[in-house]
Amino acid sequence: MFERRLYFHIDWLLLGAILLLSGVGVAMIYSTTYVPAPTGGHPGTQPLTQLYALGIGIVALLVCLAIDYRVFAEHSLFVYGSLLVLLIFVLIKGQTQMGGQRWIPIGPFHLQPSEFGRICVALVLAMYFGENRRGAKNPSDLIIGGVLTLIPLLLIAKQPDLGTAVTLLPVFVGVAFLAGLRLRLLGVLALAGILVSPIAWKFALKDYQRQRILTFMDPEKDPQNTGYQTIQARITVGSGGFKGKGFLHGTQGQYKFLPVAHNDFIFSVLAEEQGFIGVLGALGLYLFVILRSLEAARLAKDRLGAYLVGGIITGFAFQVVYNVTMSAGLAPVKGITLPLMSYGGSSLIATLAGFGLVLNVRMRRFTN
Amino acid sequence: MTTNLVPDDRRSLTLRLSVLQYTVAAAFALLAVGFWIFQIAQHEKFAEMAENNQLRRLPLPAPRGVLLDRSGKVLVENQDTINIAIVREQTKNLGDVLRTLAAATGVPEAQLRDTVNRRRREPTYRPIVLIENATREQYIAVWARRLELPGIVAEEVPARRYPASDLAAHLFGYVGEVTQAQLQRPEYDGVEPGSIVGQAGVELAYNKLLMGIDGSKTVVVNSQNREIKQLEEQLPTTGHPLELTLDSDLQKATDDAYTAAGFNGAAVVVDPRNGEVLAFTSRPAYDPNEFAAGIKPAAWNALTSDNLKPLQNRALQSRYPPGSTFKPAVGLAGLEEGVITPNFTVHCSGSANFYGRNFACWKKGGHGTVNLKTAIEQSCDVFFYTVGNMLGIDKINKWATLLGLGVKSNIDLPGELVGLVPSTKWKQETRHEKWYAGETISVAIGQGQVNVTPVSMAVYAATLANGGTRITPHIIKAADDGTGLKPLPEPPPQSKIDVSPEKLEAIRQGMWGVVNGGGTGGRARIEGHDVCGKTGTAQVVSNANRRLLQQKYKDVDYRDNGWFIFFAPRDNPTIAGAVFLEHGLHGPNAASVAHHILATYFAKVDGKPLPPPPTHEDLHLDYKDPYARPGGVATEAGGQ
Repeated sequence: MFERRLYFHIDWLLLGAILLLSGVGVAMIYSTTYVPAPTGGHPGTQPLTQLYALGIGIVALLVCLAIDYRVFAEHSLFVYGSLLVLLIFVLIKGQTQMGGQRWIPIGPFHLQPSEFGRICVALVLAMYFGENRRGAKNPSDLIIGGVLTLIPLLLIAKQPDLGTAVTLLPVFVGVAFLAGLRLRLLGVLALAGILVSPIAWKFALKDYQRQRILTFMDPEKDPQNTGYQTIQARITVGSGGFKGKGFLHGTQGQYKFLPVAHNDFIFSVLAEEQGFIGVLGALGLYLFVILRSLEAARLAKDRLGAYLVGGIITGFAFQVVYNVTMSAGLAPVKGITLPLMSYGGSSLIATLAGFGLVLNVRMRRFTN
Repeated sequence: MTTNLVPDDRRSLTLRLSVLQYTVAAAFALLAVGFWIFQIAQHEKFAEMAENNQLRRLPLPAPRGVLLDRSGKVLVENQDTINIAIVREQTKNLGDVLRTLAAATGVPEAQLRDTVNRRRREPTYRPIVLIENATREQYIAVWARRLELPGIVAEEVPARRYPASDLAAHLFGYVGEVTQAQLQRPEYDGVEPGSIVGQAGVELAYNKLLMGIDGSKTVVVNSQNREIKQLEEQLPTTGHPLELTLDSDLQKATDDAYTAAGFNGAAVVVDPRNGEVLAFTSRPAYDPNEFAAGIKPAAWNALTSDNLKPLQNRALQSRYPPGSTFKPAVGLAGLEEGVITPNFTVHCSGSANFYGRNFACWKKGGHGTVNLKTAIEQSCDVFFYTVGNMLGIDKINKWATLLGLGVKSNIDLPGELVGLVPSTKWKQETRHEKWYAGETISVAIGQGQVNVTPVSMAVYAATLANGGTRITPHIIKAADDGTGLKPLPEPPPQSKIDVSPEKLEAIRQGMWGVVNGGGTGGRARIEGHDVCGKTGTAQVVSNANRRLLQQKYKDVDYRDNGWFIFFAPRDNPTIAGAVFLEHGLHGPNAASVAHHILATYFAKVDGKPLPPPPTHEDLHLDYKDPYARPGGVATEAGGQ
């Protein structure tokens, strides 16, 4: 299946940038979870766990690279079905942690199926719109695509994990947009979203979610509770300055002023320790990864490949932009991780698998 | 395969991919701008906030300087106490924490809340002391529940201790948290809110010397406020120890005598040669220890609502007519102004008529023919009515002022009030009225418009003792600047007159006779030491008014006040002072109190064992009060 000549078409630059970001992530997790003590201190256990996940993630990437993406696409309904089964299973039997029912314990690991939602949805949508000659110009196709997205979205939101659930929307928008979704329709959808939001505010959101949004509007109002993270995030970023405080010398994350920073606020710690320079470097790498991936979509041999890459990368870009905004205290705190860098095995593995598919599309642009 | 891209599709896709790419690039550019604003433009603000997060400056309060008596005995010292404080920035739910703290310590929640509210404007990282001088039980209760009490810290601080409780309380004063009004004043520059400063007495007057410099230590803490490392420590500098002029034995004797007598009042004892204050008391007193670690509201209310005003320093802040103790001043004025000679005599028949009004002598049958010495000895009113009338008010005023009455003593304690010796000028200025010669008659025996503070009476006694030098009474003898006690310069006298020895001698002879010649102050006699003195019994209101008022206000004490001024020995005196008994009925009762002070003083001088504290019976107090009953003689009359 893996022909030798394909090897030469692997996008090494993109792969290198992805692995570099993952490595930076491990380093930042090391620094953030370092346990300071009056005499020396010692590293936490999280960087090693993340390294294991990185290993598994690279394997997943290679698997997703080796098998022709069209084969995946042919089995997309099976993949999608498996995702729904896992999500339902999580709701019934999953492990509860940090206020959500998200995990399935597999031996020493905890699998978080929702993190794989984005590639599964990207795959099934790319398949649906790619096989369809009309593209996404017909509203009925749009509705079917929307339903395919909404089912896992609602299952994930029910956990409840609104942050992860919301990341499925840009995947749908990305695929639909590339498939020719009329901008006017997109506008109508956005308008509908705005109109529905007060109802969602009242019925769909939980108290803590409403609180988070309210707090974001005015963090000083409640500086001790939910506004705390927003204020601390700004302090963390702002105190980094131009050159940063240096590796292992950040105080906000290590001393736990910014709670569980290795998770959602890893970029804040990067900004604190590496400064504006580090921020520009990391943002540059992410931008390179996104633009380079979109080039893969442009080069794709078929619509399936282009839509698949488009869906994966729109989801990825949304996560990056939202998380980075949030880590500067400029967006409400939501459980949206920074792909490739945040601590979390499932997220890293799923993201790397997704890039496996992106590389796959680019690599097979000349094959039939 | 049908999914391959046809050129039309390709064009549309390329366009839409470009839209995506530009959108993402624009979003990233905005993000970069956002980070630039926080990390570059507002970096300093956030850097400071991060420091406040992790750096804690913990104050190390400086102990105040100790107070020593003139022989080096410790009068006021410090002891470590535990304060329980709150650091609000570490407290998520203030209400819960205060409720839990109240339950754990038994302190009313409302009181804790008031304390926090009063200082809510201060930065939240600064500790607010909630419970001062916490008990061991409270400390353990807080420690046991520390996880429920984020932001609550226990700190060990030095607190003031007054080992002798209420002894000389008004002299030492007390300490308390610096007030908002004080913080506005320049002499409190550099004093942090919440600091303990002197609020009365020596503690207030010498606050700057006594305070010392607080130290601090800076530590790095994590979000659970666990100390991670210490950055720097600046040890506190203890305040300057001060040596007082006070003689603790004499002070104790003074307070013991008042306790035995059971009267309120004030006494000031000085060295007439230099103005050093040897004993100083005001009764009723309070226990300054109650203030040392923050006075409880109930105790404060009890002190401020007490009709007897225990917080008032009667020695400096209360003014009373001097009664017959004023007579030596009038006698000296007569001699100095040349209106009488020591041999001048007056016939006392029990009363005399001036300006158409009858003025009685306290002795109904009269004293017969008396000269100056006998008149002082027997406290003959008619003699001094006559001399006063010959002098006129302005000459009395001149000499009383030179002797220290009706002016401030300028003692180095805060809050001294000035007494009054009237004059024609005074009356014109304050009342816009002419002085009537008839008014002078009452003033001549220390009644009427004249009033004085006990401290000014001590100066008066000292001036008579030393021959005319109006010494400045003072409390501080030496200060320790870190290299041992260094004597402080003595304050210069307020004024000095040259009284001719023979004239002074006439007064002294009279005052010697008061104590040793069968006069009114015989109870102050000390065998072998020539004590000179003068009693005074001063009306609170006139005898005629008193009966009417007493019927109207049953609870008010209208009994006469008792005075005794003294100096000893007669030749080259080394001790002088004034004893004042509020509603002490008779001057001789004050002489009984002075006796114990003098007996203690001379026992010390002679190297003999100090006399034991007197019992109430030892003092042989006279409780006769003829004017309390209806039908008492209702005439103007000075006492003994």
